[in-house]
Amino acid sequence: MRPDQDRLDRLSLTWRDPPGLWGFLTTVDHKRIAARYIVTALLLMFLAGMLALDMRWQLSTPENVRMGPQLYNESFSLHGSTMLFLVSVPVMEAMALWLVPLMLGQRNMAFPRLGAFSYWLYLGGVLTLWISHALDITPDLGWFEYPPLSGPAYAPGHRADIWAQMITFTEVAALAASVNVAATILKMRPPGMTLARMPVFLWAMLVASIMTILSMPAIMLVTSMLIADRLVSTHFFSPASGGDVLLFQHLFWFFGHPEVYIIFVPATGFVSAIVETFSRRPLFGHSVIVLAILSIGALAFGLWVHHMFAVGLPRLGNNFYTAASMAIALPAGLQIFCWIATMWSGRPWLATPMLWVIGFVTTFVIGGLSGVMTASAALDLQLTDSYFIVAHFHYVLVGGAMFPLFGAFCYWYPKATGRMMSERWGRIAFALIVGGFNLGFFPMHLLGLMGMPRRVYTYPAGMGWEGLNQVATLGSVVAVAGGLVFVANALVSYWRGAPSGGDPWGGSTLEWAGEAPAPSWNLAYTPMVDGLTPMWNGGRPLRVADGVAIARREVLITSVTDADPLYRQKSASPSIWPLLSALAVSAMFIASIFTPWAIVVGAVPIGAALTGWFWPQRPRRSGA
Amino acid sequence: MARSGLGSPDQAVEGHVAQWRPGRVMVLACLISACGKEARDIGPTVAQTAPVGKKDPRIALFQGNVWQIAQGGRYFQYYGCAGCHHDGAPGTRDLADGLRRGADFPAVFASIAHGHGDRSYATRIPDEQLWQLTAYVRDLERHTPQKRRRQMLDQRSEPQAATWRGPQ
Ligand code: HEM
Ligand SMILES: [Cu+2]
Repeated sequence: MRPDQDRLDRLSLTWRDPPGLWGFLTTVDHKRIAARYIVTALLLMFLAGMLALDMRWQLSTPENVRMGPQLYNESFSLHGSTMLFLVSVPVMEAMALWLVPLMLGQRNMAFPRLGAFSYWLYLGGVLTLWISHALDITPDLGWFEYPPLSGPAYAPGHRADIWAQMITFTEVAALAASVNVAATILKMRPPGMTLARMPVFLWAMLVASIMTILSMPAIMLVTSMLIADRLVSTHFFSPASGGDVLLFQHLFWFFGHPEVYIIFVPATGFVSAIVETFSRRPLFGHSVIVLAILSIGALAFGLWVHHMFAVGLPRLGNNFYTAASMAIALPAGLQIFCWIATMWSGRPWLATPMLWVIGFVTTFVIGGLSGVMTASAALDLQLTDSYFIVAHFHYVLVGGAMFPLFGAFCYWYPKATGRMMSERWGRIAFALIVGGFNLGFFPMHLLGLMGMPRRVYTYPAGMGWEGLNQVATLGSVVAVAGGLVFVANALVSYWRGAPSGGDPWGGSTLEWAGEAPAPSWNLAYTPMVDGLTPMWNGGRPLRVADGVAIARREVLITSVTDADPLYRQKSASPSIWPLLSALAVSAMFIASIFTPWAIVVGAVPIGAALTGWFWPQRPRRSGA
Repeated sequence: MARSGLGSPDQAVEGHVAQWRPGRVMVLACLISACGKEARDIGPTVAQTAPVGKKDPRIALFQGNVWQIAQGGRYFQYYGCAGCHHDGAPGTRDLADGLRRGADFPAVFASIAHGHGDRSYATRIPDEQLWQLTAYVRDLERHTPQKRRRQMLDQRSEPQAATWRGPQ
């Protein structure tokens, strides 16, 4: 059904944002919010990448004096905390915020204002960490700050508080985003998209969101306990008076391990989408991949102790967690075979998104293999805290999550901007990043086996580490140069890229149904789905339904398993309250670093802002 | 550890002047304005001599720095100060009670270094640690007893008076 111009105009009128700055501050458009999220995260990736280069510069020669121990401690702490809490996790949620409604053919998320709130709070966390860095109050105890080192006696001042509170910010933001994503996927699928017909991408985002909801409370709890120990002298982590420092490690890793899958599972969603489209055939083993994702989601909660093999736990515990850690290689392996089978039996088209998938598969397999090695408690006792670990987690995080992310960026870029990125420069960036990364990080395995510890600011000459360290630095430089080419390509293409049209790749899922860049209301009609690849239905046009209002903001709610239409739901309009609420929450979080009274006093403005947010609105006039 | 300037404060003046004039003004300006509050410089120390008057620019480096104060807290325990100066100790021995409040840095420094009779801390404790101890003692009133106890508990496995063999 071709929408007429009148319908489009009315939709635009209904779904438009107020103009100018006010619109910027009040928007609830999931695409604008997600784009903001993504740009902020990429900017931080750049900053944290510069820190990494600085560290690699320091390590390129023995006894280098570019950095002292304190500056090095601050650098890796800021780099690690930023990369994990402010880049990887948020950017995956942001991709969900951007894509989920498009893939469902819906006009917005289930809770539009919650999305805006999530971004503003995330920004609060970003500013907390980086403004503190500008004021020389940088956290300096790594990306996990164990007590007693981070306790009141050994971490005076506010460095550790900043770290702990930055986590509180990002975790509340993550919870807000995840609840939103899960509710949207479960209750707002288009008619016909039963759970069995749900694309892998949506499964991945659903599972990652549920994992976030289940794991984040553990870390918010534990960082709050740490702040309480530091601020009001509680004794949670004081063994001498009955507390327990291991409690911190358990609670931290109960979140920390699922976190790596919260990063990796969405990446499998990107990969599945890209592999399907560029192999020109429906994904091989759809249900196997979905079941693999589900089992990864469950298993991920039973492995956290492999981060604690060296602290001296009972033998049986170590054995159990070794076995559980190795077990997760099984579903991960199944997924990889399904993707390979899809490529094998399809007609692969090696455009840049697909190149990134191939870079991902090769790099991630290496990271997986070193993971199986470190999963063995006996071997881990030798490898832990060595450069081998640095190599391992960069292989899984960069290879397993960043490469798919870059692929996803190239894949959906035309949908977001209406323009194509340059393939030529895309290939150059790909070669530089993947080549530089492997050149830079592979030698780190060897360095670790040769005994080089992680988190050291320098090393004496004559250890035999010089050469490999120089190669590692060289590779990092090449990779970062590739990153700059990638960004330049994205920026230049934004203005100069060839117009893409709505569906440049011939994609399989619903986000490709509409125009590009996607208008504020996404699709003019509600799509009807009758298969796994609704856009590949043998040349027949997409079936659509009318009935959702166009004169006011409305979305369609459907049932959880069968996606039967249930009712039409009012969708929230732009509002300043999410921003004001986020400001109030931020003020409370920051002040509670200094005084416990902040929690009492700070609750008042938060209550006021939330009251404004949820103020009942007049019932709709009949017939409006 | 250099042990210069251990004698009378007058002797220390020269050492201090000679060490201090050149440069550092910029750094100091910044430190005094409290932007170095959390700095953690693990290099050669500036505290090779006793403080010279209340205006000694080094005072801000110690009194205004949380890390130096925390180090003082550790040595307070190492050297067994807490044995006599525990919470609720009688008279002037209860340091946290604020009896020392208002006492200026050189005075507190001198009473630690020279005011303990036979213990003669001036010769037993390196100057840098005396600076840190002084800063800690002058900061005590800002810590609640609960907080002091909490910190001491964390440091329980570190040397305590009897087991402390002095700086290596
Ligand atoms: C070209 C890109 C990168 C380079 C050159 C790089 C380099 C480094 C270096 C030199 C360290 C410190 C190792 C040590 O001395 O212990 C480090 C630590 C770390 N990096 Fe990266 N990195 C890069 C990208 C990333 C990315 C994309 C992530 C996550 C998504 C990441 C996560 C981490 C984490 C979690 C740590 C550990 C920090 C800690 O020990 O607390 N890095 N990286
Ligand atoms: Cu893990």
